[in-house]
Amino acid sequence: MSPNEPTIFFEEVNERQGAFHRRAFLLGGLMGAGLLTLTGRLMQLQLVEAGRYQMLSAGNQFNFRLVPPPRGRIVDRYGVELAGNRPIFNLLLARDEVSDPTATLELISQLVPLDDRRKRQLIRDLANSPRFVPVSVADDISWEEFASINVRAPELPGVTADVGETRVYPFGGAFAHVIGYVSKVSEDDLKKAGPNPDPIMLHPGFRIGKAGVEKSLDLNLRGRAGAQKVEVDSRGRQIRKDPKGDISAIPGKEVMLTLDADIQNRALEVFGDNSGAAVMMDCRSGDILCLLSAPSFDANEFVKGVTRADYQALASYDHKPLLNKALGATYPPGSTFKTMVALAALEHGVDPNRTYVCNKTWFWGGRLWHCDKAHGVQNMHGAISTSCDIFFYQTALGLGPDRIAAVARKFGLGDTFDIGVSGQRPGLIPDTAYKRRAFPKDPVWHPGETPSMGIGQGYVNLNPLQLCVQAARLANGQKAIMPRLVKSIGGVEQPSGAAAPDLPFAREHIDFVRAAMAAVTESGTAAATAQLGLGPVKMAGKTGTAQARGYAGGTGAHGARGAWLLRDHAWFIAFAPYDDPRYAASVLVEHGGFGADAAAPIAREMMRMALLKDPEVRKRIVQPEQEAPRIDPNEPAEGRAPELPSDTPAPADSGPGDPA
Amino acid sequence: MISSALTRPGERDRWVVKFGDIDWMLCALLCLVAAAGGLMLYSIAGSSWKPWAGDHLFRFGLFFGLMIVLSLVDIRVWFAMAYPIYGFGLLMLLGVEAAGDISLGAKRWLSVGVLKFQPSEIMKIGIVLGLARFYHALSAEDARFSWKLMIPAAMIGLPALLVAHQPDLGTAILLAATGLSVMVIAGLSLRLIALGVAGVGAMAPVVFMFLLHPYQRERLTIFLHPDSDPSGAGYHTLQAKIALGSGGLLGKGYGLGSQSQLNFLPEKQTDFIFATLAEEFGFIGCFSVLLIYSAIVVIALRIASISHSHFGRMSAAGITSTFAFYVLINGAMVMGLAPVVGVPMPLLSYGGTVMLSVMVGFGLVQSVRVHRYAEVTSGKGTLW
Repeated sequence: MSPNEPTIFFEEVNERQGAFHRRAFLLGGLMGAGLLTLTGRLMQLQLVEAGRYQMLSAGNQFNFRLVPPPRGRIVDRYGVELAGNRPIFNLLLARDEVSDPTATLELISQLVPLDDRRKRQLIRDLANSPRFVPVSVADDISWEEFASINVRAPELPGVTADVGETRVYPFGGAFAHVIGYVSKVSEDDLKKAGPNPDPIMLHPGFRIGKAGVEKSLDLNLRGRAGAQKVEVDSRGRQIRKDPKGDISAIPGKEVMLTLDADIQNRALEVFGDNSGAAVMMDCRSGDILCLLSAPSFDANEFVKGVTRADYQALASYDHKPLLNKALGATYPPGSTFKTMVALAALEHGVDPNRTYVCNKTWFWGGRLWHCDKAHGVQNMHGAISTSCDIFFYQTALGLGPDRIAAVARKFGLGDTFDIGVSGQRPGLIPDTAYKRRAFPKDPVWHPGETPSMGIGQGYVNLNPLQLCVQAARLANGQKAIMPRLVKSIGGVEQPSGAAAPDLPFAREHIDFVRAAMAAVTESGTAAATAQLGLGPVKMAGKTGTAQARGYAGGTGAHGARGAWLLRDHAWFIAFAPYDDPRYAASVLVEHGGFGADAAAPIAREMMRMALLKDPEVRKRIVQPEQEAPRIDPNEPAEGRAPELPSDTPAPADSGPGDPA
Repeated sequence: MISSALTRPGERDRWVVKFGDIDWMLCALLCLVAAAGGLMLYSIAGSSWKPWAGDHLFRFGLFFGLMIVLSLVDIRVWFAMAYPIYGFGLLMLLGVEAAGDISLGAKRWLSVGVLKFQPSEIMKIGIVLGLARFYHALSAEDARFSWKLMIPAAMIGLPALLVAHQPDLGTAILLAATGLSVMVIAGLSLRLIALGVAGVGAMAPVVFMFLLHPYQRERLTIFLHPDSDPSGAGYHTLQAKIALGSGGLLGKGYGLGSQSQLNFLPEKQTDFIFATLAEEFGFIGCFSVLLIYSAIVVIALRIASISHSHFGRMSAAGITSTFAFYVLINGAMVMGLAPVVGVPMPLLSYGGTVMLSVMVGFGLVQSVRVHRYAEVTSGKGTLW
């Protein structure tokens, strides 16, 4: 404003006011610009990028909860369930909805058993747990308890019952070693799963196969996890379910094994308190019908999580219930190995009628070699049937280790088989090459080592599955059949063990050994204990009494005398029917004493079960002129021929004390 | 001057006249914002008056009454009380520094008997009053550029630093911004302003490195790189942006904002209430509220400009800028344009102390309007 201009209204308006007006306008303008900026930003966020943020918002709001898939069942060859699932009810307590935990727990304890210690523990857990993570009050409550909780639900705010599934093994221990068990996922399991494990592995309800078939076929049995769409809040607490958005779980594949639950259960039954293994195969197809290790343990306990005390008890028991003796332990095969020595001799032109004289002892190489008794003059047939050691010491000596080993290996001895279960120990069939490899300081095979090998001792160590394969190949007579455990996965048939090359031996030589094995049960070592009592259907076999400890110095005990741990291992390999073999078996009774007494009766009972279940064999047993009576395979003795033992003595009772 | 009844001596001192001179349009707009706040708080609580909405509206009613009472208080009383209030506020801040209660890691509260209050809120009024009082007695020449400007600089700097030390960066920024606006509006040399802006720009890294608390530095870092830590400290900003953006044009609907209803949004009832509004009412709702805020600012600035006393002009303008800064800082923070500092949206956010200081401030603005013709002198005997 020019001072010269006459002013009326602005006379009093001083410079300060003018400045104020200009500056107020400026400030107002700046604020307006600020507000415009905010508006612009709002438009950018809410109009331009709205879609992106709406997606992010939905991602916040909705969560997919993994749902563990139902694990595939494991069934036997006839569809009998060996491993299945059952519903499980868990009681959960949500901390933020419970005002008085003590009173609520008191009320719950009227419906579900809860002792005071557990209650105190739960109150501590509730106090320490994150607010929105429910605490598990009781795992696996019964359906009745679940129902009673649901009825009283209005009085129990914050108490929810969660329905899940748990693995169940209906036969408890009978299949524990072969099927294994599932358990909670461990750190190791996660590490093995690699850097990006299946997210279901982190689900608290998920169980992973820890042993046996459950472990080796875990991925097949597992299935694919489903997802449940739930609305959650920022703390992950579930607000609402949205069933329309659920993705259903894909159940795991059903695995059918070649096992026969009846045979395996029978085997466990007749094993009694003994320790050992029993394997049975269909000698035409190679299917494993029984793969038992005894004593066993209840796999169901391992699903829940076995207690330390229970585990300690299992681990420290000298009968080793946790060890799969059918695959994972090796033993000297004893006299069962003589079948191999005999075959090797025949293959190398030894005259089967050549005889040796057995006087109970034989002096050779500067020491005495023993036999069980003086068998007198023995040819090969007789020596197998009576299991004369003196004959086989000398026969083996004539052959040397390499020839015997070559034959034994053709029968699967010292071999492992791809049956879908890990943990097989190959054992050993020794030869000169082995001696060179394993004993650099003493690489030469000494002739003095051969006689022991001739009777299945010395370096020879084998597992029961191998002996069963040996028996099955002898029984088959033609093919080197392979054992098969997994019949089908998800309905897809697995390759059969029958598609195998022929055994490179003369048929008449194998027949010779088979005839000698028939004599074992007819008149030989097992004549008293290996009678099937099934009329024309007879079993052939070979006993074995394998030295577990050296006898010298009184540390080992021959037969069934002495301390359990020092006794001999009892073996029996068998096949039946003798004239048309269908089934082959091997039985090991650890420290059982004589094979004929301890192992043969078990093989006999298994064989009876298998034969009586076989309709074609039953036709032969039943007299043609009689009307076919009902024969219940579970009650083999009912109303049949007098030699059918109606009360089969448990091997534990008959074994010890009875001299061979 | 137009001859009218109001020019008669004493006429303007009548209570009825004073009452009629209150800006009722401003009152209505303030009520509108508070009602919007109540609406949102009701929604966030899951359609419940408790714990926030009832409180919020009750307090607003109480403080609205206080504003009306304060608007009838003579501007000369405000004038006389200006320095005492400023001084009292400063003393209280020093008291907090010496013996404040620690809450959430910061000393902000002072307990006097059963009363607990934040001296920084007194300072928001005190700094405006004190500066207005100072500039009232300062010539335009001196206000532009002189050594005397050291005094207002100190009057701003001292409380701002004390509050920043509590630490309450949001309020400190608010105090400093308000004070500087008052200085600018009083006619500070534009060259000096430019120099100051440049100086602040140059000092910023030093402040960042040495004067900020680690958590404040972290917030700034996250603001500059928002995606560096989406689940940690950047969570607030990200969730607020998701809430805003997902609202779209029309919003998800009242009570249906999943971000706020499901607790993804932090501080949804206080600092981030605008995001809740944005989520449930969309751009339309946000724009309307911003429009109301703008109208309040325009009306208050107009009240400042029609005052005949320099004290009245300066104090009304000071309060207006405080209010505007509240809106701008909170808005920028919620929208991810500024780092997260604890500045609420005035009258929309839940919180008693801020609402009290805002309403007392508008009492002052109303008083400036009611007493716009009053002659305010700094001479003796003008009051009491």
